[in-house]
Amino acid sequence: MTSFAALALLLFGVLIARLWFLQVIGGGEYQERAEANRLRTVITEAPRGAITDRNGKALVTSREVLNLVAEPQQVGGARSTGALRRLSVALGHPPGYFAAKVRKAQEARPFEPVVLEEETGPELQAYVEERASQLPGISLRAAYVRDYPQGSTAAHVLGYTGPIPAEQEEEYADRGYVGNETVGRAGIEAQYEQYLRGIDGREQVEVDARGQVVGRGVLSRTPAQPGETLRLSIDLKVQKALEVALREEVRGSGVSTGAAGVALDPRTGAVLALASYPTFNPDVFQSGTPREVRRVLTGAGRPLLDRAIAGEYPAASTFKAITAAAALESGLYTPGESINSPGSVTLYKTLFRGFNNLDHGIINLVTALEVSSDTFFYELADRSFRRQGWPFQDWSRKFGLGRPTGLDLTEGESAGLVPDLAYKRRTCDRATDPINCSWRPGDSVNMSIGQGNVLVTPIQMAVAYAAIANGGTVVTPTLGRAVVDQDGRVLRDLVSARASRPLGLKKGNADIIRRGLLRAANGNGGTGTPVFGALPRSAQVAGKTGTAENPSGIDHAWYVGYAPADDPEIVVAVVVERGGQGANAAAPAVCRAMSAYLGFGAARCGTGAKVN
Amino acid sequence: MATLPGQVPTRPARARAQSALTGIDWWLLGAALAVSGFGVYVVKVATEGDVPGDPGYFFTRQVAYALIGLVALFFVLRLDLERLSRYVWTLYAILVASVGVVLVLGSSARGSTRWIEFGPIRLQPSELGKVVIAFVIAVVVVERIKSMDSARLSLLVAGVTALPAGIVFLQPDLGTALVYAAIALAILWVAGQPITHFILFGTVVVGAAVLVLYLMPALGVNVLQPYQVDRLTSFVDSGADRSATGYQLEQSKVAIGSGGAFGKGPSGATQTINDFLPEHHTDFIFAVVAEMFGFLGAGLLIAVYLIIIWRAIVIMRGAPTELERLLAAGITAMFAFEVFVNIGMNVGIMPITGIPLPFMSYGGSHTLTNLVAVGVLLGIARRSRLPDPRGA
Repeated sequence: MTSFAALALLLFGVLIARLWFLQVIGGGEYQERAEANRLRTVITEAPRGAITDRNGKALVTSREVLNLVAEPQQVGGARSTGALRRLSVALGHPPGYFAAKVRKAQEARPFEPVVLEEETGPELQAYVEERASQLPGISLRAAYVRDYPQGSTAAHVLGYTGPIPAEQEEEYADRGYVGNETVGRAGIEAQYEQYLRGIDGREQVEVDARGQVVGRGVLSRTPAQPGETLRLSIDLKVQKALEVALREEVRGSGVSTGAAGVALDPRTGAVLALASYPTFNPDVFQSGTPREVRRVLTGAGRPLLDRAIAGEYPAASTFKAITAAAALESGLYTPGESINSPGSVTLYKTLFRGFNNLDHGIINLVTALEVSSDTFFYELADRSFRRQGWPFQDWSRKFGLGRPTGLDLTEGESAGLVPDLAYKRRTCDRATDPINCSWRPGDSVNMSIGQGNVLVTPIQMAVAYAAIANGGTVVTPTLGRAVVDQDGRVLRDLVSARASRPLGLKKGNADIIRRGLLRAANGNGGTGTPVFGALPRSAQVAGKTGTAENPSGIDHAWYVGYAPADDPEIVVAVVVERGGQGANAAAPAVCRAMSAYLGFGAARCGTGAKVN
Repeated sequence: MATLPGQVPTRPARARAQSALTGIDWWLLGAALAVSGFGVYVVKVATEGDVPGDPGYFFTRQVAYALIGLVALFFVLRLDLERLSRYVWTLYAILVASVGVVLVLGSSARGSTRWIEFGPIRLQPSELGKVVIAFVIAVVVVERIKSMDSARLSLLVAGVTALPAGIVFLQPDLGTALVYAAIALAILWVAGQPITHFILFGTVVVGAAVLVLYLMPALGVNVLQPYQVDRLTSFVDSGADRSATGYQLEQSKVAIGSGGAFGKGPSGATQTINDFLPEHHTDFIFAVVAEMFGFLGAGLLIAVYLIIIWRAIVIMRGAPTELERLLAAGITAMFAFEVFVNIGMNVGIMPITGIPLPFMSYGGSHTLTNLVAVGVLLGIARRSRLPDPRGA
């Protein structure tokens, strides 16, 4: 009988010890777990800000949808496993589909709701609402998706949104993200994320085991804060005109692999249009099938590549304006001087041919630009080579070549290439071709007509010609114009802080170049005259064609020009890959973009000519 | 009070009450009533939100059960066990028949049932059966301990216990069946059966457990329902277990642990009130106490249970007859076993076997049984203190 008492004391002693362990030693930890049971944070998604063109026309908006969401704390039990299985089957997935989805999401973020199905349709919504009691922890929740009212228009400018990539999670955490937000992943969406992002609202509520809000209800609340509206400098009608023109040039050519164009306001650097073809619909990254996404990412023609800022092409004859500036400013050429410009010249025992071996006779710089004489510029190159210094390189850089323009699409802009001695030394093969490790006369000759190793992007050429057009200021091109509130009031000006710098081009010299470019588009022998010759006087264009030789055999077509020639409001640069001669493929696209902006009929644009 | 014609004259009420209370073990009665009262209170505060529109649903019923139990306690107190022992096989037959009826009804109702329904009253015969089986075994042992050899007696008791316990197990109610076994073992132990019987029995039980839980399932024969296997094994590693049982145990530990040293009070016990802790008015009521009143409250409750067991042992030692001594042993074992296994399952050191906590857990049959058992003990105590009424 004492054994009875001893046994009872022993067993109850064990219970007390266990209680001490649970309550006094482990109490803190269990209190936290009880709080985690009781408290739930309900997140109200905040819509991302809209993006509009300069006139307030919507380019991207946020649209409210209902997502099918599972609360991870409530979909653990056996009952929910059944619910997930039923739901998977009902939606035509394999039975384990949603359970696997929940498991995977929970590994990454154990306490965040798991989105099972995005953008539910009315049928699924009805299904879930009818069976709410049989689907514990599963509900429809308001969320926002990006809406693209203009379709693929300005896709490369806008970019797209997506979930925070796993490898950047920490970076975003530092900026106050939880980790499951949708963020701008490319283009303006990424560039101006700080203004566009909405701050999700948070409510802490007390819930019971079924997830129902109980008792005191909302314990704390931070309201959702919608993102701000971003107004771009883009002019939707110019953008559309440019895109249509590029598409037609590429499709019409049959061999072209792509095209790009940029339109700027030369006075401010405001980007009026920026287009690249082939293009994509940003919606694909949000609701496209994996196949559609793959087609954008790796498809033929690389649709994701923004050729307007990342495409590097030989500048070809459009570079002659820069050669001209360098020659005038460094004294290689005296204004008024005439130079013999035959079909070809032999320099340093090498025959350099002009385009189509055309003999232009003895001409001055203005005419050389008008007819795009190559041998005229070879002569300037020869003079340059004989002298000390690097006028072509110096002036290329002054015009902004060889480095990104500073456009507010900081990711993805290419630097292009201004070749110099350092470049030659860096890239030559010392073992087999040591002589190529020096700057050779041929390098100057090729560079003078924008060939050889000169590489530029369309936006660089637009900025360079803007500097000629505006009388000598190198502007920083700008897409973002202002952050505005719901009523269109400006909250923050994005333009005023943008830098510009003087080119240092003497006014007289600039006038000579402008006269040459005007004649090139309007003169009797002008290479662009067949396209621009019939425009009204108020919209007279000055500009330069370019036909860039490239290893693939078929030339890239270039045109860079501005209008109205006497008081330029728009400068447009277009390149059409393998488009052939600049006047045929690129110039008409430039003309159509200008017609959309200046308001003359596109029918007055000519369709092309035979010269470079 | 006037005596009406035709009525049997009775003693004055005051004298009657006096005689009912003479020789009472106040420690035992006080402790049992204190825990029962506390139980009623905890059931009240734990279940206020459980039945929509009726916050007092479980409370009013538990009050009624306790009052019925109290009446039964005083009735049993005066029961002549010697005379009742003549009807031992009748009692046994009623027990076996009633648990058998429940089994049959349960299987026809496609699921488990532990009750017989009489209109609004649901009786769980296996509960009262605990006291009955203790009495039956005590009688069987007392009548044969001198005439039968010890091995045959142990086997006979095993058989007598196994029949109703087996039926209860099939209902399925493993917990109650285990209580029957604990009662039988305690009585045999106190009766002085050789220790080898208990060692042999222990070996058989462990062997059977291994067979039922591991070997036979491996061969494709499942004796236990899957939920029973879950319950029996989940306390070993509840953290990894996402089944309903593991969830229950986890929530129980969170409730208890979060109570800390002094508890969160009845209104702050969110594990209970917000329903994270299932069965908080029945099997897991101890976790409610621990959450609301902390280590202090839960420890005090355990101390009061120790008082009950201490008094039960004292009463057993002073029992005037061998029958009463063995019966007291069975009841003592019943309380000790139930309290230990229930609290042990709440704190996660015992398997979840569905054993309620005496005097605390909600339930009519269960409350009635515990108070009846106290009544039996009080009766034994009183007879040991008073001169034999038949001799007087």
